Amino acid sequence: MSYIGIDEPGKRMLLMGNEAIARGALEAGVHFCSGYPGNPASEILTTLSDVAKEFDSYVEWSVNEIVALEAAGAAAISGLRALTAMKNLGADVCADFLMTANLSGTKGGFVLVTGDDPSAHSTTSELDTRNYARFAGIPLLEPATTQEAKDMTNWAFDLSEELEVICMIRTVTRLSHSRGVVTLGPIKPEKRSANFGFQDMWTSGSSRITCMLHSILHEKLKKAQAKFEESKFNWYVGKDDADFIIVTSGTGWLYSLEAVKLLELEEDVGILKLGTTWPLPEKLIASHLRHAKEVLFVEETDPFLEQNVKVLAADLAIEGFGPIRFYGKKSNSIRGEFGAGTGELDVDIVIQALTEIKELTYVPTEKEYISKAQELLSSIVPSRTMSFCAGCPHRASLWAIKKALKWDGRDGIVTGDIGCYSLAMLPTGFSVARTLQCMGAGIGTANGFGNLRRFGLNKPVVALTGDSTFYHACIPALINARWNGANLLLVVLDNNTTAMTGHQPHPGSGVNALGQSSSKVLIENICKGIGVEVQVCDPFNLDEAVQNLYEMLQTDGTKVMIFRHACPLAFPQEKKVRVYVDQDKCIGEECGCAKFCTRVFGCPGNIWDYEEGKAKIDETICNGCGFCAELCPEEAIIIEEVA
Amino acid sequence: MMEGPLNLVITGVGGQGNVVASHIFASAASKDGFNVSVGETYGASQRGGAVMSHVRLSEKTQYGPLIPRGQAHIMLGFEPIECLRAVTGFGNRKTRVIVNPRPIYPIDVLSGVSKYPPIEDVLEAIKKLVSSVHVVEATELAKEAGNPIMQNIVLVGCLAGTEFTPVKIETLKEVIEETFAEKHPRANLKAFELGVEQIRRIKPI
Amino acid sequence: MYRIEIKGPRELQNEVLDKELCSACGACTNLCPYIDMVAGRAVMIEPCNLSEGKCYDFCPRTYIDVPTLDNDLFGTYRSDLRIGSNIMVIKARARDDEIKSAAQYGGVVSALVTYALESGEIEAAVLAGASIDQINPKPTVVRNRSDVLQCAGSKYIVCPTITEVLEAAKKTTGKIGLVGTPCQVTSVRKMQASKFETAADKIGLVIGLFCTWALLPQAQDYIKDLVGSVNLVKFDVPPPPANMFIIETETKKVEVSLDEMRRFIMPACNVCFDMTSEFADISVGTVEGAADWNTVIVRTGFGKELFRQAREAGIIETAPLEKERLDHLYEASLNRKKKVLKEMESKKISCLIIREEDRSKLLS
Repeated sequence: MSYIGIDEPGKRMLLMGNEAIARGALEAGVHFCSGYPGNPASEILTTLSDVAKEFDSYVEWSVNEIVALEAAGAAAISGLRALTAMKNLGADVCADFLMTANLSGTKGGFVLVTGDDPSAHSTTSELDTRNYARFAGIPLLEPATTQEAKDMTNWAFDLSEELEVICMIRTVTRLSHSRGVVTLGPIKPEKRSANFGFQDMWTSGSSRITCMLHSILHEKLKKAQAKFEESKFNWYVGKDDADFIIVTSGTGWLYSLEAVKLLELEEDVGILKLGTTWPLPEKLIASHLRHAKEVLFVEETDPFLEQNVKVLAADLAIEGFGPIRFYGKKSNSIRGEFGAGTGELDVDIVIQALTEIKELTYVPTEKEYISKAQELLSSIVPSRTMSFCAGCPHRASLWAIKKALKWDGRDGIVTGDIGCYSLAMLPTGFSVARTLQCMGAGIGTANGFGNLRRFGLNKPVVALTGDSTFYHACIPALINARWNGANLLLVVLDNNTTAMTGHQPHPGSGVNALGQSSSKVLIENICKGIGVEVQVCDPFNLDEAVQNLYEMLQTDGTKVMIFRHACPLAFPQEKKVRVYVDQDKCIGEECGCAKFCTRVFGCPGNIWDYEEGKAKIDETICNGCGFCAELCPEEAIIIEEVA
Repeated sequence: MMEGPLNLVITGVGGQGNVVASHIFASAASKDGFNVSVGETYGASQRGGAVMSHVRLSEKTQYGPLIPRGQAHIMLGFEPIECLRAVTGFGNRKTRVIVNPRPIYPIDVLSGVSKYPPIEDVLEAIKKLVSSVHVVEATELAKEAGNPIMQNIVLVGCLAGTEFTPVKIETLKEVIEETFAEKHPRANLKAFELGVEQIRRIKPI
Repeated sequence: MYRIEIKGPRELQNEVLDKELCSACGACTNLCPYIDMVAGRAVMIEPCNLSEGKCYDFCPRTYIDVPTLDNDLFGTYRSDLRIGSNIMVIKARARDDEIKSAAQYGGVVSALVTYALESGEIEAAVLAGASIDQINPKPTVVRNRSDVLQCAGSKYIVCPTITEVLEAAKKTTGKIGLVGTPCQVTSVRKMQASKFETAADKIGLVIGLFCTWALLPQAQDYIKDLVGSVNLVKFDVPPPPANMFIIETETKKVEVSLDEMRRFIMPACNVCFDMTSEFADISVGTVEGAADWNTVIVRTGFGKELFRQAREAGIIETAPLEKERLDHLYEASLNRKKKVLKEMESKKISCLIIREEDRSKLLS
């Protein structure tokens, strides 16, 4: 039995936040799990799929988040316990269903887990999905520790089932991907059969029915609130009637605790930690607003608690509460590198806020140390921009696109999309892509660019997408392009995996989340079905790739080029080779090469020996793809087969 | 044992096995009865970017996953400039550093935009900021053990071979065997042992 | 006194490529990963970081140091301002029937190249070869008579012959030859004079063609529209005052006014000073009104020797060029130089380096 499914209540284990969430779902007896890979939530589903067989549960990677939520919703209305996990932007994708599923209710426990990414470490937005809970009017839980991640997920199913409404858990990168010690609980798998028939109805209606259901939703929220007042996930530590309190949730809890300790403010500052953050447990909060004169809100990203508690405080004013001075994002007390309300929290940010408000000094390290460190950092430490892995086919594809567009000579536009190839905007991708927003926005926006000729924008439009992204979001836009006559060339960078998020399978993989063989949905067949010209090419055959791309750009219409070559991390090559640079043949900086492999092509396996003035291969990084050998103008890169 | 948490930073370049190393160390610490918190950077940084793991041990209290600025007690550097970068943010005069001096060139350097400083300068700079610096050719030792990518395990061995942390060598060995049970447990154990021996053999610079 | 400054790819881009002066000779391509030849123009994928480069040095539009090139090839600055240094101007034609029927005019180029190959003077040569549809000439490496015959016939659409020259030279042990237009011949001589070492010292025979313009590859589409998808046999431009462009297919002949084709003339040709390949060993052109002869200008000592041998071996026959025709050649070439020099002045193109007195003479 895989370790996450171990039936030893009371056992202490070191778990990742996402693993703890998965464990919580197992302890609740989850039946149906769905989602789409997305940092920081991906591991929730991979963990659940690892034990799906043992637990007789169903786990699927859906083509996108809305289908994932819809599928899970169906399972839940049929009486099963269902969980859907996604990254924050995934919530945008499934919002359409969420805003009706909240009204149409559920039968079995239905839990939505969203993973936010403050500081956007791996995301194109810092979207705070807690707003969705308030927007949709559904109960929201925010775990503060890995233990809570497990316990809350477990409880969320009970809560959802009792109230017959979808419940949301919001986690963040620092919780999902951090590890902490968790005490396991009992696993209570419950065999259930799915039932849905003519006697059932599952809808958010329209007109009066919708309003009625809306009102029922409000009632459910009131019930949730009553439960939240007593919840063990909310607590207060510190001086009973402290003048100064911190109101915090999620990762803010441990940061605040440590900040208060480091500043030796345990005697002065109380901390109200909330785990149930929508609807707010108003009575509990009021009991602490009663004694507080100053309140500091410590929460990730948006001033969600801040604004909602202020609304409560305004209501309470009539009862004689206050005046209270509030600190947080509005007062610019809690701020990241770029200001309040952006960037992730950490202990130092909370320390900064407390020292400013309370006019204290705290020096973690002496000024001299800091300035010496700063000087060293700026003078000798080069930055480290992200780059494609050694052997990545995207590097070849993007070089082919760059060449084809230069050949074309009309200053063509390249729109980018989400995946490893998002790096097409960076030097590693030759800065070929000039736009990047959300899944499918590459071809979506290209639809616009490709129809602006009448307004004078007469140049080739190339939209990038990956294989997984194609299935997720590009198909409607491709249909639109054909239907509305947008002149664009969609280049699908097909590396046979969902790479950036950890190499999950997709509809073209021939395998599903459970590792079982499954039907392949081929991208080229979809394109043919839509009726657009489609070609498949291996980007490592550079001359052919460039020639074909160039030719496609010479005529109008909507076209697709699939650059197909497997990701070397997901599908390492079997043939063992040794790649090295013949030092005599290498002309390095001379005219005719000018350090093409290291200075321009940029595979991390190609390095420069400053002493010898020649190129070399870093054998610990090189993965033997041999592409640089083809590009070397002097044929100085040699590939040797190794036994 | 100690007032407050023991803070360990493991830093390197995406793909060097940062996460595996921190996981091994944290699991061993947890087995030895400590409370552990680990903060990681996953995702995009893995594509050749700088990555850091924060590992925090404590006797009772659980601490948040991020080490506050200037509070690292120990730094394991898988790559020299990443080590220096992390030291400038999280180091202090009492920090102990163990570093692999083998450079991994950022694309910024290879493309000619920036220069990679001489290794001696980097090590000197680190030395100026911390209490002690042990330089270990971990990649070479890993090659000896069978594969250069095990340099991360070598460095975990180095850490184990010092008195810097209360985590037991035996526990670490157990965890390594469990972690790599399906592939090359012996090679990884060898890498670990070479690390333990090496750190005891050398002196800080 | 003048000073030549050898610059790099950025300047090549600014001074030549951006100004539409590129004549697609091919000299700057196949040197490095950064410059390709596409559809009748050199395309720089991105400039490398060097400040001096072969691309700039070999390009016939960055600078043409006429005094130095004349000195290298002929030992002295040109005596004849009209058609450049020469030993003799004569009429000639091939004698071999196979060559004559493959050729468009006198067949002298094919005959001389074949002779040079068969006599071992050169091991290979680079010519403008016809492609399958006859419309898109491609640089072709030839090694024997039948290879040469495949390439026979006049080409009017630009062929970047020089892209293949250095590669071909690298691969041979002996010498190679080439047949090129004036700009192409100039680039090869610049390669041989360059401080950058290349295989250009293996170039033995340089045959230059008379040339007034070449057409952009876009002309293909227009021609294909005119005649449909049939096999083309050849193009022809009869001498003035005909003002015709003749397209011959397997089944018919289509005549188009030359004015229709003028829009496809490469802009670079409008500032070309050299109508008769003044730096070749031997230059070959047509004879007005005598379609089975070529006008031949023998220029270098090597050219003279090869021509003599070919004549003695019966490969070609010669006859004196009529005075009327010779005067007409001088006039045409001189008028072109005057026109081009004025054009260069007005466009501020300063790549041509000739003696100041010559410049004044031409501009007056």
